[in-house]
Amino acid sequence: MRYASLTCALLLAPLGATGGLRTERIVPLTPMERDTVSARDSAIHALNRLAYGPTPGEVDRVASFGVMRWVDAQLEPGKINDEALAPRERALPVLSYSREALARVYADAARERREAAMGANTMMADSEPAPGPHGRLGRALTDQYVELTLIRAALSQRQLYEVMVDFWTNHFNVLIAKGADRFLLPDYIEHTIRPHAFGRFSDLLGATAESPAMLFYLDNWESVAPGARPPGWRYRFGVGGADSARRARAPRGLNENYARELLELHTLGVDGGYTQQDVVNVARIFTGWSIERPERGGGFQFHDWAHDWGSKVVLGMRFPAGHGQDEGVRLLRWLANAPATMHHVSRALCQRFVRDDPPDGCVDDAVAAWQRSGGDIGAVLRAIVNGADFWAPANRAAKVKTPLVFLVSALRVTGAQPDSSLRLPQVAARLGEPLFMHAAPDGYPESAAAWVNSGALLDRMNVAVALAADRLPGARVDLDVLLGDTPDPAELVAAVDAKVLAGTMTDNTTRVIEDEVSTVPNPVAARALAVGLAIGGPEFQRQ
Amino acid sequence: MSRRVFVKGGSLALFSVGLDPLFLARAAFASAAPSDAGPILVCLFQRGAVDGLSMVVPYGEREYYDARPRIAVPRPDVVDLDGHFGLHPRLAPLKEWWDRGSLAVLHAAGSPDPTRSHFDAQDYMESGTPGVKNTADGWLNRYCQHDREHAATPFRAVAFGPQLPRILAGSAPALAIHNLQTFGLGGGAPARDRLTEAFERLYAGTTTGLLASSSDEAFEAVRVLRQANPLQYEPAAGAQYPRGPFGHALLEIAQLIKSGVGLRIAFADVTGWDTHVNQGASDGQLAQRLGEFGQALAAFATDMGERMRDIVILTMSEFGRTVAENGTAGTDHGRATAMLVLGGPVNGGKVLGSWPGLEPAHRFEGRDVAVTTDFRDLFTEVLARHLDARELAAIFPRFAPDPARYPGVIRT
Repeated sequence: MRYASLTCALLLAPLGATGGLRTERIVPLTPMERDTVSARDSAIHALNRLAYGPTPGEVDRVASFGVMRWVDAQLEPGKINDEALAPRERALPVLSYSREALARVYADAARERREAAMGANTMMADSEPAPGPHGRLGRALTDQYVELTLIRAALSQRQLYEVMVDFWTNHFNVLIAKGADRFLLPDYIEHTIRPHAFGRFSDLLGATAESPAMLFYLDNWESVAPGARPPGWRYRFGVGGADSARRARAPRGLNENYARELLELHTLGVDGGYTQQDVVNVARIFTGWSIERPERGGGFQFHDWAHDWGSKVVLGMRFPAGHGQDEGVRLLRWLANAPATMHHVSRALCQRFVRDDPPDGCVDDAVAAWQRSGGDIGAVLRAIVNGADFWAPANRAAKVKTPLVFLVSALRVTGAQPDSSLRLPQVAARLGEPLFMHAAPDGYPESAAAWVNSGALLDRMNVAVALAADRLPGARVDLDVLLGDTPDPAELVAAVDAKVLAGTMTDNTTRVIEDEVSTVPNPVAARALAVGLAIGGPEFQRQ
Repeated sequence: MSRRVFVKGGSLALFSVGLDPLFLARAAFASAAPSDAGPILVCLFQRGAVDGLSMVVPYGEREYYDARPRIAVPRPDVVDLDGHFGLHPRLAPLKEWWDRGSLAVLHAAGSPDPTRSHFDAQDYMESGTPGVKNTADGWLNRYCQHDREHAATPFRAVAFGPQLPRILAGSAPALAIHNLQTFGLGGGAPARDRLTEAFERLYAGTTTGLLASSSDEAFEAVRVLRQANPLQYEPAAGAQYPRGPFGHALLEIAQLIKSGVGLRIAFADVTGWDTHVNQGASDGQLAQRLGEFGQALAAFATDMGERMRDIVILTMSEFGRTVAENGTAGTDHGRATAMLVLGGPVNGGKVLGSWPGLEPAHRFEGRDVAVTTDFRDLFTEVLARHLDARELAAIFPRFAPDPARYPGVIRT
């Protein structure tokens, strides 16, 4: 291996090794070696960007399999055998709950809470009643889904698919902590985002638009035509007294929240050329897109009575009077392939996969593929990966990992086994990225500036050291399997370079880690220290 | 080390409190860290929407008692402030500060955006842009971005909690400290220091970019904190912080301020205000939360002693609650609430703002206390008059800051 040899040379040099040894190591590589090197480099880059980093031995496996063949295989996740993950998924009951079943749990928990509150001994109560069995079940199911998300990211063979699920999760962000989204979110990710992650953008957009999770998160479920009243409204809400709160909560008119984010974040982008009047008219188009009561399944429901049946104009496009749900569908279909949308979404993809400040060439390639394929996400991804920008040396290791990517790549590189508990998600939260908890509709940011701050870096170092010492809550690591042990510091550091940093260790890092481990007599402790420093160090923060 | 600051601190001490040995010791300590001098803002967010009408009770108003037969604070229990308003009895520890003119109440304050969603309203109050959801950073962070008046130390802006809150998110460095005792690298002292040094050397090899600057800041923060040694801490003047995360956060803020690490902006959350059910009156659920809140504020002010002359504590909450009690002896989401401003520079002993009254006709949508002060008028005043902030228009975009609208919480 070229890197290992170079490292040895650099280590030996200051110790007074012969000049001959150094010279010998810089002889030009044979063509075969060069191919091997570049295939390895490409494999490292592909695994860092299109996956959550390599697992032990994966760089060499992908390099010998062929990097582009691996990319092709990743673009067809359905054909990838994921048998290591399957038993972990089966062990989590949340996946066997339909949305209807989750909604029932939620409705039961809400009823239980009301009953407990009414039954509580009125004013002297100093705290809220503890959740009952339904409340505990609901919470456990949501927790399971959060745990599952990290387990999949770490263990799935369908890595690019999981990366894209995370991308869309942020593009179509929903906050799990907002009311009903606590029970709607598992179904949203599982049945709205995941099936469309590699499909057509228009299908994905349409699915999110009528997902109860999004309708609730961006308030569209209670947006009604001004003056519209549900049938039997007087009867249901006119009793006064205890009903005053419900009456006050009865829908009053338009809510522009979804309309605005649909244009600004999901499709056209903030500079997409729409006006405030367009936002209002989009909101009018989506009046009536609402949600069934949880007791009835909490699914999508179109309310005729709430819809604004008048004529509208959006971005110069005419929507004649007398149309119901169909005009929203028509608008979504148009938005999905509008030029500004192609540009906006392609740019976000290039930012995720190429550079924080995405190169124009990458965006152009992606848009061209979008046009050719009618918005096929797989085709757009293929164009990005086939482009020169993706592989340009200047763009390699040019991105700082987000907290989630850092954590999952650390688990993967050490071969750690995540357990089924909330402890790992809590580590992600500690690092600054609690899953599904981004409050604003723009999702977690992709750029380094948002993530790199002094406290966060210290937290990464602590996580790295704890993981290497097998003290990280929620994951078990066996460094014997990864590295073996050696009493020789230089050998140890070379092994850590090869196994943890895929041979990218800098001279400075090599020197520092070797200095540190040479003062630790216990080889097991020295090994943990070396791995902890490597994962907490600067090289591993990049991807 | 600055001799000038020492002399200044020492002479002030002689003038202000005579030869109080504790204070002299503190002045001498402060001289070792000149960055400690100057104004400090402590922002406290009451998440969940505190019932302003229970916190600062309009006990002189019949409508208050009419609308809340089960949860109104009875007249004899109220701690009178000005004959019309009074503090909730569990906030009695704050009365001392009112009497000294260091506590002001701003009533009927809130957001111009009428949302009653906790999530949206908190987001707006932290981004400082009501009605606009996609503002990238928080207004306290924007203050730091534009702050040229004060030295940028790693501890300039600190949030006490596990994550950096929205209000401090943004491009200016800000720390989230969950626990001062565990800030930095873990482990026992000798191993931890070795590890810190090793990581510092690792990152010293990173030449440029965010990783380099952030790691520099991180290690500087660790070093500063180690020298300041805030772990050996005994609150002054017998101050008793209440148990629980909020009391602990205030205690750590006090520790950091006294450590002289250059803390300028501190932020902490206090939760448990969403009292839809069995809110209680002089006793009960809300009373218990207010008790902890008042005790913690009073302990902090007592602990800080003379240093309070440079400190302003500002409380905020995303909205208030319905004037009338609901069917479950609680209150639902409303509009305006009360915010407290406490500290030496405060124009205290007054209930400020324009009180809209509780008559149904004067309520917002017939049910809530109407907002008469935009929270941005309060925030801009505090930034301008207490922290000497200049670029208010950049800190509050889409808003025209205007001293004429300042509620007058800071003495001029």
